Amino acid sequence: MNELLDHLLATPILAIALTLAANVAGIRLLKAVGTPAWCPPVLVASLLLAGVLALLSIDYADYRRGAAWLMLLLGPATVALGLPLHEQMPQIRALWRPLLACLPLAALLAAAYAVGIAWLLGAPPETLASLAAKSVTAPIAIGITEQIGGSVSLMMGGLLITGVAAIGFVGLGARLLGIHDERIIGFALGLNGHALGTVHAFEIGPVAGAFASLGMSLTGIVSALLLPLAWRLVGA
Amino acid sequence: MPALRGFLWLLGFLLIGEILVTLTGLPVSAGVVGMLLLTAWLLLHGGGFGDIASAAQPLIAMLAMLIMPGVVGVFFLIDELAGQWAAILAALVGGTLLSVLTTLWLMRRLMGEAHPDPADPGHE
Repeated sequence: MNELLDHLLATPILAIALTLAANVAGIRLLKAVGTPAWCPPVLVASLLLAGVLALLSIDYADYRRGAAWLMLLLGPATVALGLPLHEQMPQIRALWRPLLACLPLAALLAAAYAVGIAWLLGAPPETLASLAAKSVTAPIAIGITEQIGGSVSLMMGGLLITGVAAIGFVGLGARLLGIHDERIIGFALGLNGHALGTVHAFEIGPVAGAFASLGMSLTGIVSALLLPLAWRLVGA
Repeated sequence: MPALRGFLWLLGFLLIGEILVTLTGLPVSAGVVGMLLLTAWLLLHGGGFGDIASAAQPLIAMLAMLIMPGVVGVFFLIDELAGQWAAILAALVGGTLLSVLTTLWLMRRLMGEAHPDPADPGHE
């Protein structure tokens, strides 16, 4: 049995199949229980996948080596977001002033709140560095986290929790503040909830999706430029 | 094969992004540079993107799944970070609540008078 597993793990096929299967099962499961809007399928799918890996006693490093082939698609998928951005360009142009004014402050605060809370609760420096990029889209966040000396695995887990929390809190906050404008809701989803928030925004509508893509990419750019710098200033 | 042609376009922009990032040493990822280039290119050409759309739409739909392999790694850190989980969860959830409220409030304020809420979607 163990030999067979080792043999199957020699190619990426098993890891990719497990990831796809967990994803399909997660979506099915949520549909069966009547999809609560705050719970994205990826949360259920990740739990299922972790359970299956533990059950089959597959080493995470082995799984990850295979699944890296799937993650390669993150590159072209990020490029693909240029299409909805282009489609909503007239809407974005009309709002460029408030968008640009809001972005750097909101993106830095997204990091500062989390790092501040963890610091107050006494988390060590490596954990703080792993939390800083929690609202940044994965390919950029990995680079930032390596640069400021955090753990990439912890950061990726933080991405999941942040994405789920952002989806829930944007819905809640919009209701609380009486905001119905898809542009604001989408922008907040992308800025705070990176790819997970952006996927949810596309479920709301194409306008929300495009503004989420914009929020996600601008947050990525601003964070990549400013976070390492801010880190050095605060840390010194 | 429109989807394949579209995928080739996306890979082309990703490669150009990779080249630019490598040459200039920008701290941004090749994907984001490629996305901005694609947007600029589409703005310049304005029409006939059927190929790109047929590759882009399914890729965007599976964006969430693509980060899963990285995300599940956190479940294997549980022992290593014992004793820190309360602080980490409080930081992630509390921090996200605060930053979401800040963004929503800030955007509403900034958009406020100059751009009234388009309450009537019939004009879109």
